[in-house]
Amino acid sequence: MLEHVLNGLYYGSILFMIASGMTIIFGVLGILNLAHGELYALGAFCAFSIVGFVAGQVAAPTGPATTIVFGLVVLAGSLAAAAVLLPVGGALEAAFIRPIYDRDEVYQLLLTYGLLLVLTDVMKFVWGPSPVDVGVFSAINEIPTTELVGFSYPSYNVLVILIGVAVFAWLAWFFDRTKTGRIVRATAINREMSTAIGVSTDRMFTLVFAIGAFFAGFGGAMVSIGPSSASLGMGLSWLVLSFVVIVIGGLGSLKGAFVGALLVGVSSRVVTPYYPQLELAVPFLLMVLVLLVRPEGLYGTWGEIQ
Amino acid sequence: MSTLGPGSDTGRGSDPLLEVSNLTATVEGFEVTHGIDLEINEGEAVALVGRNGAGKTSTFRSIMGLTPVANGSIRLRGEELLEMRPELIPKRGIGYQPESRDLFTGMTVEENFRLPIWTAGEARGIEDEDAVVEDVFDLFEELEGRRDAEVQNLSGGQGKMTAIGRALALRPDLLILDEPLEGLAPVVVENVKSYIREIIDRDISVLIAESNASHVPEIVDRMYVIERGEIVDSGDPEALSSDEEIQLLMQGGGE
Repeated sequence: MLEHVLNGLYYGSILFMIASGMTIIFGVLGILNLAHGELYALGAFCAFSIVGFVAGQVAAPTGPATTIVFGLVVLAGSLAAAAVLLPVGGALEAAFIRPIYDRDEVYQLLLTYGLLLVLTDVMKFVWGPSPVDVGVFSAINEIPTTELVGFSYPSYNVLVILIGVAVFAWLAWFFDRTKTGRIVRATAINREMSTAIGVSTDRMFTLVFAIGAFFAGFGGAMVSIGPSSASLGMGLSWLVLSFVVIVIGGLGSLKGAFVGALLVGVSSRVVTPYYPQLELAVPFLLMVLVLLVRPEGLYGTWGEIQ
Repeated sequence: MSTLGPGSDTGRGSDPLLEVSNLTATVEGFEVTHGIDLEINEGEAVALVGRNGAGKTSTFRSIMGLTPVANGSIRLRGEELLEMRPELIPKRGIGYQPESRDLFTGMTVEENFRLPIWTAGEARGIEDEDAVVEDVFDLFEELEGRRDAEVQNLSGGQGKMTAIGRALALRPDLLILDEPLEGLAPVVVENVKSYIREIIDRDISVLIAESNASHVPEIVDRMYVIERGEIVDSGDPEALSSDEEIQLLMQGGGE
């Protein structure tokens, strides 16, 4: 049982990294980014290339000390892979999404869907049609963390859960405490009024999209380093689940995305081993339940009185 | 010395501070003002008086670059604002309190004062952020105790003051106040009036929209009367607001 809960938390952490960007982009830009799953997939492919390269530069781990070094190198590589998404996200926003803010939602959905298809083809062109795997997962698990408490569970998954919590803490700090974060919030609350105090909303939108892309890419990197591999189409199921998460949490709410992701992650991973046929149904059942009780989701977005 | 004076050098040039000429603003494709002409000189306090829907808010929004303009020109010290990206207008020295207040909810009063300094403080020559914030609190004494309150929990009067204070925090040369007295209890109206007079005493030029002409003579040097998107009269506020025809117009009898 504990293992299933941990699996759920691992799954939820990855889900949060994708859903957080989606919900922030929706909250600030008002755009539902259907290409967000592909940004996650792009992060996974970049991690395959970058982490594969840097891991090849250091010796494979032979003991705890070298494993820590190896793990740090892999972590740095995955951050670098996610960092590729910063300019990619920024450029996508500036070139394609900026011209359609004033258009109907239908145009925005069509455009981001188009980006989804184009990004998939770009990845197919660069990395080919078959799944690719970095192959560092077993090496990282050389460090037996959970065995210290008399329990066997991959250290890597524990690390990802901790990283998920750290990402949430960082985002919460960024939007609560930093000047830039609070300017972004002001932009989300009232675009016109923030212009009237000197905010370049264009710049804020690009920044938000780039940050969202970064964390989606980071989530992708975590997955492709982990037990799974990077593959075309990997983004699609996560896109749908992220959508479920942000509807449960409340569109535009960061805290909602965190709670929603963990709820979806844990409930589906705890139920699936016993009732495998419910794997896909559980998140949606959860969403239906939340919508029946709180149609606006668990939490409100910035500026809404909670 | 107070840090709340105008941020720019207010040396008097030959140009007026703000010169609006032949302004035709549009809302959703419809012309809502027809050739508005306005002038505000350095250090002057001017009112734009007219009924609801006469075009006051549209004129102000045009000045801030928030509403499309079909025709005309808006110059600040001779510089055309219509060709400027709207976020540069506050940086050039115009502070704006919109009619609907539009405070940044979920944030405190103090954060609402700091935000304009973070975004425009450098352009406005603000070196000591804290000093400016303290000066705004000194002016609006009754906000001092509400400093850490989130703005959605303020009373109507406090909300209005926060909106004015936020505009003031970027050390504007020109402060635009859209119906600052509207919807306030009589006692609060007197308070806000005295705050506005204090602001004017600090050499900040002020442009106020009012739908109640009787408030105006106590505050401004000069007033314009706007009706159906056109300036129909202008001059001394004392004389104009007691003018029978203007009074009829304001009551809706001027049809």
